[in-house]
Amino acid sequence: MKLEPITPTVLSVQRLPAPTEAVLRAYGADPSRHTSLGLITCDQDDSTYVALDEATKHANIDVVFARSFYAGAGSASGPLSGEILGVIAADNPDDIDEGLRAIVRCLEHDACFYGANDDGSIAVFPHVISSLGHYLSAEAGLAPGDCMAYLIAPPMEASMAMDAALKAADVRAVKIFAPPTETNFAGAWLTGSLDACEAAAMAFLEACVRVGEAPRHDR
Amino acid sequence: MRTRQLVAQLRADLGMAAPLPPPPEVTRIPAPPSRIFPVKSASDRAGAAMSAFAKDAAQHTTALVGIGCVGTRYATDVVLQFQAELAVAHAAVAAELPEDWAESRGMLPLRSRVGDHREYLLRPDLGRRLDAASLALLRSRAKRDIDVQPILADGLSAVATMGAGVALLEAFSDACRARGWSVGTPMCARFARVWLEDEIGQEVNARVAVILLGERPGLGTGDGLSAYLVHGPQIGRTDGDRNMMSNIHARGVPPQQAGARLAVLVGAMLDQGRSGVDLDLSGLTRELGDAASGGYRAPQERVRLVDMSSQPAARTMNRETPR
Repeated sequence: MKLEPITPTVLSVQRLPAPTEAVLRAYGADPSRHTSLGLITCDQDDSTYVALDEATKHANIDVVFARSFYAGAGSASGPLSGEILGVIAADNPDDIDEGLRAIVRCLEHDACFYGANDDGSIAVFPHVISSLGHYLSAEAGLAPGDCMAYLIAPPMEASMAMDAALKAADVRAVKIFAPPTETNFAGAWLTGSLDACEAAAMAFLEACVRVGEAPRHDR
Repeated sequence: MRTRQLVAQLRADLGMAAPLPPPPEVTRIPAPPSRIFPVKSASDRAGAAMSAFAKDAAQHTTALVGIGCVGTRYATDVVLQFQAELAVAHAAVAAELPEDWAESRGMLPLRSRVGDHREYLLRPDLGRRLDAASLALLRSRAKRDIDVQPILADGLSAVATMGAGVALLEAFSDACRARGWSVGTPMCARFARVWLEDEIGQEVNARVAVILLGERPGLGTGDGLSAYLVHGPQIGRTDGDRNMMSNIHARGVPPQQAGARLAVLVGAMLDQGRSGVDLDLSGLTRELGDAASGGYRAPQERVRLVDMSSQPAARTMNRETPR
């Protein structure tokens, strides 16, 4: 069945209440403002970026580090590595706890990839963020509270679909991730009104389905 | 969740009959932590309630002890209590004795060399000396060559002086007269520090000078008076030459009782011809109470100056009371 959700698996959630200054600096935290870290690994990088951003709306935290791992979860370095390590920092360990809870909540019931073909081997991330937190808004150069369509797919599908998305609605490209990225996916961040972002995301997903159904135009 | 709804719609549009599987349950958000009290041992039932020791200790102090915590923070009622008490202390320090207050109560109005209230707080040295006009007034109108010179003053809490000040001054003066001593002209000094009694006592040639002034406000007291006594007052006396009694207010030592006790202290000074650390109070435990003995004192039950727990508004706001 097409368009089944592919639920992310949270692999490890850890607190680091009083890290050394060297570790704080290495992960981009500011020792004068941050005294606690929270770490999470997951087998879906883009869902986790969205969840990290979501957490900034729930707790007084900063996302100081979030990097995808090379070649994705299929080539993970260990059972707890997955596809991404996200690190949040705060001055108060309670905020870290609250932030980690928000991340896990978002990963377990909101952000996820969807399978664009019957066996789910074409994974597409057509996520609409109706109100950005202060992490992704800063990454995208938008304001907190803006709308964003977060669209990711394998290179061929993404290349076709991001054009379809941009043509489908009154949206503009904030960032385009041309392949290869760390995980060898590609995609785009689009912004516009909420309606426009939603229409663009669905056009993106539909285009991915079409490419998956007819991969060879020459035949 | 919105993305999932959109995908479900797209599935229907693409002609797929089966609906999208239901989303996973939303993670239950645990209830915020109730108030936690620190524990000494595991047998202490996980700190769910204030320990008996803390409860007992809290009866004998207005300090915020045994208050527990909510996460890394104080509970709401504790914060409200703290803020209310701090506000009382701030208000007491900021209060000024009105200029005509002393005269309207028939006391000789004196003032120190301090110009205004801010300077008073910043320059203790100026608060220890009389200004020229007050010195002239003192020389022309005050009784000289006396046994005891009581001086009322604002100190750091004019609120306390205006409250129980006159009652304490009268109680003390009456107790002195009852013992047959000559008592100086009643006087009241503005912007006064403790050491001002040295200059005044020296000018009127008193055997003992006693200054009664508002004490530094703390959490839970903004209306306390202190009395400092010195034998043979003269400029240059130090705190080692003084005896003092603090916490003269309704919830501590009441002014009537304090006046009587101060007279006992003055009696000891006149008998022994000295004051301060050299003064021997060991024979006066009956008159002065346990304080003079240096031994065990039965704990006193303390009443709060501001009790937020009795405010209905505070009670409805406080949902963090221990279960």
